[in-house]
Amino acid sequence: MSKTTEKRPLLEVKDLKQHFPIESGFIMKRQIGAVRAVDGISFTVNEGETLGIVGESGCGKSTTVRSIAQLYKPTSGSVIFDGIDLVNAPREQMLDARKNIQMIFQDPYASLDPRMTVRTIIAEPLEIYRTRGMLDASVTRDVIEKRVEELMERVGLNRAFKNRYPHEFSGGQRQRIGIARALALNPKIILADEPVSALDVSIQSQILNLLHDLQKELGLTYVFIAHDLAVIEYISTRVAVMYLGKIMELSRSSDLYKNPLHPYTKALLSAAPIPDPVIERKRQRIILTGDVPSPNKERFGCYFYDRCPYKMEKCKTNIPPMKRMDEHHEVACWLYE
Amino acid sequence: MNLFNKKKTKLEATNEFNQVVVGNSLTKDAWRRLKKNKMAVISVVIVSIYILLAILAPILPIYPYDEIILDHQHLKPSLSKTSGELLTEKKMADLYTQAWRQGRLKVTPEEDDMLWAWIDSSNANKVWDYMFIVGSEQIADGTYTFTSAEKRTIDNLEKKLKTDLQITVKKVWHTNQETGKKDNVAKLPVEQVVEIYAEMVGTSVEIVSEQYEREIEQQLVKVIMAQNPDLTPEEYLLLYDKELESMSEKEHDKLVKENVLAKISSRAKEIASKDLKVAATDESAVFPLDKEIIIQGSLSADVEATKMHDRRYYLGTDYQGRDMLSRIIYGGQVSIAIGFIGTITSVFIGIILGALAGYLGGKVDYFIMRIVDIMYGLPYMLLVIIAMAIFGRNILNLFFALAIISWLTVSRMVRGQIMSLKNQEFIEAARSMGAPTWRIIFRHLVPNSLSVIIVFSTLRIPSFIMTESFLSFLGLGVQAPYASWGSLVGDAVGGMTLYPWKLFFPAAAMTIFLFAMNFLGDGLRDAFDPQSKNQL
Repeated sequence: MSKTTEKRPLLEVKDLKQHFPIESGFIMKRQIGAVRAVDGISFTVNEGETLGIVGESGCGKSTTVRSIAQLYKPTSGSVIFDGIDLVNAPREQMLDARKNIQMIFQDPYASLDPRMTVRTIIAEPLEIYRTRGMLDASVTRDVIEKRVEELMERVGLNRAFKNRYPHEFSGGQRQRIGIARALALNPKIILADEPVSALDVSIQSQILNLLHDLQKELGLTYVFIAHDLAVIEYISTRVAVMYLGKIMELSRSSDLYKNPLHPYTKALLSAAPIPDPVIERKRQRIILTGDVPSPNKERFGCYFYDRCPYKMEKCKTNIPPMKRMDEHHEVACWLYE
Repeated sequence: MNLFNKKKTKLEATNEFNQVVVGNSLTKDAWRRLKKNKMAVISVVIVSIYILLAILAPILPIYPYDEIILDHQHLKPSLSKTSGELLTEKKMADLYTQAWRQGRLKVTPEEDDMLWAWIDSSNANKVWDYMFIVGSEQIADGTYTFTSAEKRTIDNLEKKLKTDLQITVKKVWHTNQETGKKDNVAKLPVEQVVEIYAEMVGTSVEIVSEQYEREIEQQLVKVIMAQNPDLTPEEYLLLYDKELESMSEKEHDKLVKENVLAKISSRAKEIASKDLKVAATDESAVFPLDKEIIIQGSLSADVEATKMHDRRYYLGTDYQGRDMLSRIIYGGQVSIAIGFIGTITSVFIGIILGALAGYLGGKVDYFIMRIVDIMYGLPYMLLVIIAMAIFGRNILNLFFALAIISWLTVSRMVRGQIMSLKNQEFIEAARSMGAPTWRIIFRHLVPNSLSVIIVFSTLRIPSFIMTESFLSFLGLGVQAPYASWGSLVGDAVGGMTLYPWKLFFPAAAMTIFLFAMNFLGDGLRDAFDPQSKNQL
């Protein structure tokens, strides 16, 4: 891949908000609040790169990805893929564009229908788009059959197993089935929602290598969620750090790990253990006080204010904007004003 | 050689990469577990036998379930004796008992006391049985002889048993005088049938047609009267005209043909019975026999004649002399059909509404579930009874009434299943692939809750049969001449002490089936749930 194609933004997320209403009342439902799972985030993903998203549980990583895939209807904002705004486009156009956005799920035990054979599972996206009439007329049953076999071999599964059921496979093999399914429609971008966190460490590396190889061969773009910082460091080109539905810091992977700017990123990185007992014992960890606050209430200051060790008066009432520190490094913090 | 070659090439092609490993589906696993459950396998066999009997009922060698032979009322079940022998026995027992009560037949005083005690406790059957044995012994010893009147009765009965014939007309033939070809009259066009009949009776076609038109009118009016009682004669005529108008030419012709054919057949029967009675008395013919008889001129008929009292009733007869065995089999047909069709309909409605409510949620869910709640609140039996009263009492309406009430539980169950499944990741995966709602429901959600649905339906069938039986028992279900297990039991309750077989056999048939269904349901539940205690 040349440098020029890498620069082209493939996916652009603009001020995306995903609020889930909290309702009360018996028959006449009345909204009494909202869970602000994603509260206004913007980023771009360039073609051929991998955007890693990290953050602790409940910070809105998965919701972001699901909103991009249009599994939820976003409250506001836009998701622009290849020049089409998925949020506001007519359904047909949205479905056609979304053919190029596929997902890999976290739990390989739950993400495959236990009543379907591997063949049916991998062929399902093809069948769906075929019945919708959004595939070439040349795609027949036989073509789909061939494609399934080809995909199985590509992800490292014996194609003789195509009539087996998911429960007859190990976790790693199942995740491969999930990846084959995501690849079936030749997507441009794959949204991977913690694809390795449910796997054994040895299997994790296999799956990561597979994803890496596929990216090289097929020129895929990934949005990759993980809470394992080492995994993110290995796979990502750029990393977004999320907290409470907001992006705190967005930077090139190498910069972020060497030079974290945001206090939250610093705390997060210092929470990851270093596999050397001498250094590990000596190093000073930043320990945050308190819990993650409830995402239910609207905030007018910095989202990290409650737990920030460097908080200032200004942070309480002003939401810090994303500030570009250098070409590849952005941070949302008043410290860098 | 050629064949051998073919086989060889096929073998060569099978290498490691081309072979396909067949997977073990969850259903296959469940089936394997079910096969290890002995009770469930026995139940499957029993249920299959029942279903086979019900399906094959029309071609089984049993007597028609609605054939009434008044002579054969309340015959005991017997494996070895014909109905004639049973009738003789019954008559003899009756005669001996009468003789004993008149003091002509002497027994010891102890026996006297015992017999009176039985009569006091209304054990008439025991008295008859006992008197038959005692009487036969005394006749053999010569201590008791019949009076002349009694002898006459016995002789008459014997003669009747010998000569009573049952004649069925199988086919009526008409020989064409010019070509000599024999035609089956039932297959001739209606005009020709009418002509043949007119020729047979020796009148004109006009008179014949006037006669059958009148008869058809009466027949139709009778049907209309049965359907809507309490109308004035004018209204009946109006309804009749309407009915006649709505009838197509073909239907009308069919009615005419049936009417005329029945008349020809009855003539054939008359002639045959006259002929054969003589043969039966002097024992010159062997029964059962098939014979072709000449009705008149070119008309002839194939008749089959059997001795009526040579019949055997293995499970006895009912109050109208109908064979209990065939009534139980045909009753099973109705009961099992209601069980299965009712379950299928209710499961069908329940799945669709439950799946929609569970998957779509929100307002749809709210409305469907409130309808279910309201219908739950109404008394179930009352609704069925009202539905039967409104729509009329026949089997189809019974199906309908049961089905519209019984989808409630299924829909609730399916809704619960689907609500627990719909947040699973594989459903999210399907949605992320752009699967439409119907596909998610019918390709992912329903197949995954199918095991629960199957178990539930299996356990539901007995409850349907019970409900149907209950309604029939009350007289709201199946109407005569059709039978169901419930109506058979209901009919039998009246003479329970005198004719216990009428109650016992249908009840036993029903109980065995319900047991089998319940065991099968339990077996299926264990098979579909690998975590159950019977895990293998």
